[in-house]
Amino acid sequence: MNWREWQERQEVAELGNRFLSYVDWGSGPPVVLLHGIPTWSYLWSGIAPGLAVSNRVLAPDLLGYGFSDKRDKFDRSIARQAEAVEAWLDRLGVVDATVVGHDVGGGVALQLAVRFPRRVGRLCLMDSVCYDAWPKGLMAQLGTPGLARRLTPERLTRFLTPALKRKGFATRQTAELLEGLLAPYATEVGMVSLSRDAVALNTNHTQELASKLGHLAVPTLVLWGEKDGLLPAKFGERLAWDIPGARCVKVPQAGHFLMWDAPHAVAMELFDFLERAAPVSHVPRRSVAEELFGSEAPV
Amino acid sequence: MARVKQVSEHGAEGGVERVYHELRRTMRVTGVDVSLRTWAAYPRFFVAMWEAMEPNVETRAFEEAALGLWQEVLDSTVRWEVLGAWNAAKLGPSQRFHARGALELYEAMQPRVLLMVSAVRMALEGQVVGQPGSLGTLERLERGIPSRMAAMEWVVEKPADAALRSVFADIVKTVGPPGVPGEYRALACWPSYLETAWRRLKPRMKDEDFQAVADRLLESARRRARALPYPVALSRERVAALGEDADAVLKVTQALERRSPALLLNLSRLVQDVPDMLRQPMPGASRLVPDWVAAEELR
Repeated sequence: MNWREWQERQEVAELGNRFLSYVDWGSGPPVVLLHGIPTWSYLWSGIAPGLAVSNRVLAPDLLGYGFSDKRDKFDRSIARQAEAVEAWLDRLGVVDATVVGHDVGGGVALQLAVRFPRRVGRLCLMDSVCYDAWPKGLMAQLGTPGLARRLTPERLTRFLTPALKRKGFATRQTAELLEGLLAPYATEVGMVSLSRDAVALNTNHTQELASKLGHLAVPTLVLWGEKDGLLPAKFGERLAWDIPGARCVKVPQAGHFLMWDAPHAVAMELFDFLERAAPVSHVPRRSVAEELFGSEAPV
Repeated sequence: MARVKQVSEHGAEGGVERVYHELRRTMRVTGVDVSLRTWAAYPRFFVAMWEAMEPNVETRAFEEAALGLWQEVLDSTVRWEVLGAWNAAKLGPSQRFHARGALELYEAMQPRVLLMVSAVRMALEGQVVGQPGSLGTLERLERGIPSRMAAMEWVVEKPADAALRSVFADIVKTVGPPGVPGEYRALACWPSYLETAWRRLKPRMKDEDFQAVADRLLESARRRARALPYPVALSRERVAALGEDADAVLKVTQALERRSPALLLNLSRLVQDVPDMLRQPMPGASRLVPDWVAAEELR
């Protein structure tokens, strides 16, 4: 599936003055796929059709990414993204879901699991940002206002293409993947938006979760590309130690974009996880305000 | 006409950057259009142009003149055959959301740009433009970009895709210089839609009645520009004294004015082809500022 075919499948949800584009594919138990940076939901196009055979696959472009709202006027931190995803799921009437997060999307998934636990029936983290493993040099550089100011869409593509080709991102590089991943950022608005996404990468938002991982009561699978040169597999192992009952599986011959490098293996692990791990049962969910402030929520 | 290099919003500096900022806020749009970016290639003229035009542009009278002009455009095309491009193009829900947003943005902006271009063209040709009103005495509009307005996103003028480049070349050949109009670059984000729409728009442009309506609109725009509430203090001599090539500026302005009525007619057909165009920012709210603030701003 090329990126335009994926884009054609996207729907849109308006959340106040912002909007999210997302793919809603199939029916069954909901599985939410959250991408990272510098990508968008297209990254999941290799495994989404297979998952959609027996699940409702929901793959949003996070705020500021892909074809979601890219205007230069809001916070794109993983904390804010988690709130947006929560509001979006609320809009769709999805009470709880299996949440799968990759890279920055993994950080968003962790924020969701900690702050809005009733939304998350199962959790899968793939080569996820965590602890102080991020941001990496490339993305930190991209967020520097000085560099962003000198960029043009053409320069951005020239800057990212060799970086994405470097060992560690994906072992199975294709022109289709690169073109598709960078397509939404090939405009002036897209370029500025990606730069703002990059500057929102904040170690503190994963560090603040570190002490809470031990209290997560959700079935968790940690999937990691064995050849990930960006976020080494030791971070996956550490996540599995810290989250009660979590299991870490390393995917052979896969880099950071493991769902692209080894779609079959990743899909099989996910199917196995969905089949074996019963989601945590939930009482009727509370409002966002109650989640944030407890039962004595400000009115 | 020699090719004029447009100044991007990202690349604008000094006085041009300031004027871009004020243009967006005063015109209440998310970006700076091609016509204005082309003018910005002559930075000293551009700043002087804005100083001459701003007192008019921020008034209710200017907005009403633009709305009246746009209504004329709509009335002229409402009985023409339905374009049918919206339904013919293969677009997904999110793509339609974005395309609709782009059309709403240009619908709000282009009538005002034509008024500005007409006023400046006449002033540069030595005609008296605007009424001898006392600055700051008329109702002004609240500044700021509507929170739901779409981002001004477009593809580069020379895209990598050969088919799209060919469509762009045909558009410029048909509508005239100085470059691919902004609304077409925006619609090029969905190449199949642009191609379908252009294939249906172009034949009509050769009809005699199309030309006659375009000529009438041009006259109407000039009449409305002459009636602007405040004098437009701009002349070729002033532009030359600022050190800019006054002949080149006049040629560019004439070219921009010449093609604008036809572009508005096409825009009207595109807009009327789309159901549920809702996000019109006009009429704007009144700007309530104390007289001394207004006097200071206009000083």
